[in-house]
Formats: sequence, structure tokens, C-alpha cells
Amino acid sequence: MSRPTGAAGIVLDKVGMRFGGDNPVVALEDIDLEIPAGEFLAVVGPSGCGKSTLLRLVSGLLEPTTGSISVHGKTPEQARRDVEFGFVFQDPVLFPWLRALGNVLLPGRILGSRNPTHGSRTEQLARRLLREVGLGGFEEYYPAQMSGGMQSRVALARALIYQASTLLMDEPFGALDEFTRDRLNLQLLDVWHKAQATVIFVTHSIQEAIFLADRVTVLSPRPGRIVRIAEVRFPRPRPLDLRFEPEFGSMARELRALLETDTTMGAS
Amino acid sequence: MSRKPSKKSRAAKWKGVIPAALLALLALVIWQFVVVAAEVPAYIVPSPTEIGGELFAEGPSLIVDLGWTMLEAVAGFLIGAGIAFVTAVVFVHVRIVERAAFPWAIVLQTIPIVAIAPLLTIWFGYTLVPKVVIAAIICFFPVLVNTTRGLRSVSSQAMELMSVLSARKASIFWRLRLPSSLPYVFAGLRVAATLSVIGSIVAEFTGADRGIGFVIVQASYRIDTRLMFAAITLSSLAGIVFFHVIGWIERASLRWPEARLHDN
Repeated sequence: MSRPTGAAGIVLDKVGMRFGGDNPVVALEDIDLEIPAGEFLAVVGPSGCGKSTLLRLVSGLLEPTTGSISVHGKTPEQARRDVEFGFVFQDPVLFPWLRALGNVLLPGRILGSRNPTHGSRTEQLARRLLREVGLGGFEEYYPAQMSGGMQSRVALARALIYQASTLLMDEPFGALDEFTRDRLNLQLLDVWHKAQATVIFVTHSIQEAIFLADRVTVLSPRPGRIVRIAEVRFPRPRPLDLRFEPEFGSMARELRALLETDTTMGAS
Repeated sequence: MSRKPSKKSRAAKWKGVIPAALLALLALVIWQFVVVAAEVPAYIVPSPTEIGGELFAEGPSLIVDLGWTMLEAVAGFLIGAGIAFVTAVVFVHVRIVERAAFPWAIVLQTIPIVAIAPLLTIWFGYTLVPKVVIAAIICFFPVLVNTTRGLRSVSSQAMELMSVLSARKASIFWRLRLPSSLPYVFAGLRVAATLSVIGSIVAEFTGADRGIGFVIVQASYRIDTRLMFAAITLSSLAGIVFFHVIGWIERASLRWPEARLHDN
């Protein structure tokens, strides 16, 4: 769980993923990607383009059918066993029998002595993280007593507590209303800045991708191929109003055009 | 945004029972009137007041018999549910065992317990053993099915979360599978609780020298319908009480909101 050193954090080399079964699906094809340590990379694409699969390949939950992946010089499987990943799923995946604080403390309980924040400081840290994501005062609430946005924030705090070097986020705010999503985006940038983690953030919102990321990777629909990797040069910290700037709008239009041409190509 | 835990007040809870209680009262009143007006002999259908009188007169000795029946039922319940729980845990972790054994669990379920009770009586005599075994068999299946389903009710994302945390199998069981399964386990236990009383009474029919089942059989030989109704009433009450004791334990142990499954 040491901080990554050197430029190449995560390297994907000609990665392809095919799901077997009666009607095999090629989810990803020929993915070449280098993600330097500490970068915030967003991945956008239409649904079914293998975005989620990409995160599962990087985290060693799935094995690619072709190509190879290296995470700080290790295989994804090794990195996963060394608990290098924080994963935020599409659903909050909170345990309903644990209160907010208990859910944030869960990784520490499972990791035990492998937990870098092992010991009495863990609970203090959990309380601080809950405050940082705007949930101070809700420590003793059960998930069923919280709104969807609050649950997502607990899930975020849970992914941050064990200080993983890489955060993988699979449309974590996709089910939320725009205002909640805006607030969570700001909080995410804030904690990312503090934690200095590498982030791969999957979303279907081009606006969200540009607002958050250092680079945006655009994937084509089935099979998912990289259409473009776009640098986002807006300085940080970025205010929410940035999204109404003309440059922001033109970049969003450009990326959207990429997606649309590719969809029609795929359909023909 | 947020909701405070909503607790139904005690008064509101009792209010909910009123319609059912009124219906029961109405039924009893009609029963009483019909029996008296039509001059139905007591040895065919006794009136509710006669049954009440019998319960009062025979209460002390009936309670002793009921005690034996409930002892058998509770013992069978604990054994049957315990074995079912362990079996379900094995099923979920070792797929091949489930494939080998589950069809036979269904076969066991389809054998009428009335048919095996005499056999067990031949083997174990007029002891408590056949009754406990029958109660255990009848409890086994609902607990097995519900526990297996509960242990499997874990979402794939939750399993991935545990995997990302590099959790060991034991950790996944204690921290994820077991707590997720508990609402299902209790749903199975509630069903098993009432079944266990039925099981022990049926076993008593085929050979016993005490217990509510024994009382019912003896009374039927003497066409003592009053005593039969009194015994039936008591055993039914005992089943309801057992059911609610399990429900009470469930409420006491599953404290998180929306933990209870309402599938009756």
C-alpha cells in the first residue's frame, strides 16, 4: 500500500476481453492505456461499451482474455491481494445491518493488522472522512435511514479509509440528481487532492468526465475500443461554473460528436 | 432526506389486532347460538362455553401434557433447525454436496410424517425420541431452504467488495453472508416453530403415554369431544406462542431497519 513511485502507475497493453457462453460478446478490444500515478482518468462511453469491465480487469476481479495489465509493476491479482484498490460501485453496496460509521470501518475490520491505519486512530479517521464527505452527525444512521446521495457518500468514505493507491469508480453518482452529483463531484476532487490517489472514473456523462478528469478516454460501443484520449487542460481547483464556459462546452461537443459518429458506424 | 427510525407505538399495534379479535368473537357467538338453538348434542359439537368450562376444569392436567408436547416440539425444533442451518452452510460452500444431497432433502420432505411416525415408535418405543425426531424432520426443510436462499442473497457487487478488500472466506461468511441470511433464517424458523408442535402431536398419536396428542386420542376413544376441543385449543395456543417467541427473538436480535421479511 505504499505510494506509487515513477511515472507509470497502471499500464494496459493490448488488452481484450471476450465473455464466453452461448453468444460470446467481445467487451473490450485492443486497449492500450498508460495511467501515471496520481492521475485522474475518466472513461466515457455508451452503456454496454465495457467501461465496468475495464475497472474489473484493472482490479483483478476479471482476467483479460488477451493482452496484459500491470499495476505499479504487479499483476492486477497481486495488487488486489495487496489491497491497492478502492472500489466504488454503481450501487453504494452498504451493509444494511451496519450504521454509517460501521460501514466506513468495515475495510479496517477485514484488513485487521494489514490496515495502515490500524488501531485506535481508525475510528477517528472514519469520523473525519464522514465529515469530509458532508455526513457529520449521521454516523449512527443505518443505510435504510439515508437518502441515495448520502449512501453514495458513505461508500466513498469507505473506499477512502484504507488509503488505497488506486481508486476505481464505476458510475458512482449515476443514480443521483444533478445537484447532489455536483456536490459529490466537488467533494471527490477535494479528497482526491488530499489523498493523491490514482483515479479511474467511469461515467456516461461527458460533462462529469471533463469536469473531474485530467484526461478523458472515449470508448466506442461493443466492442469497446479507445476512440480518443483527450487532455483536459482546465486549471484546478475547478469551480462548478466552469461547465458554462465556452471552451468547456466546445470540448464536450467535440467528445459527444466522437461518440455519435461511432454509434452510427457501429449500427450500420 | 433522512428519516428517523419509525417505531409503531404499542397502542397502534394493539389496534391492528382488533378486527381479527372481533371476527373471532363473532364466530364464537354464532357457534354458541347455533349449537344451543339446534340442540346439537355436546358429544358431537360442544358449545364454546362448554369447552371453556372443560378448559377450566381439566386445565391443570392438560397443562402438564402440553408441557411434554412442547418439550418434544422445542427439542425437535432446535435439533432440526440446527442441522438444517449447518447443512445450508455446507451447501453454499461446497456445491457438489448440495447437488448430491438436495434432491434427497426434497424426498425427505415428501414422505408423509404420519407414515414414518409408527415406524419410529417401533424403533424407540413410547419414549420422547420418536416425537423429537418427527418434530426435527418437519422443521428441517423450511429452515434449510430459507437459510440456503439467505446465504445466497448476497449481491455480486458485495462479493466484489470483499474481493477488493482481499477478505478471507471466514471473513466473508461472518461479516457478509451470515448477517445477510439472518432475515431469511428467521422467516424459516417462524414456519418451523408452528410445524414442530404439529409434528410432535402427530407423533404422539402413534404411541405415547402422555402429551396433548395422547390426550386427544384417548378422548376420541371415549367420544369426549369437549376434552378434544379443549386440547386442540390449548395446543393451537401453544403453537401461536412459540411462533411469537421466535418473532420476539428476531426483533431483539435484528436491530437494523427493514430487517424483517414479511413473507409469513
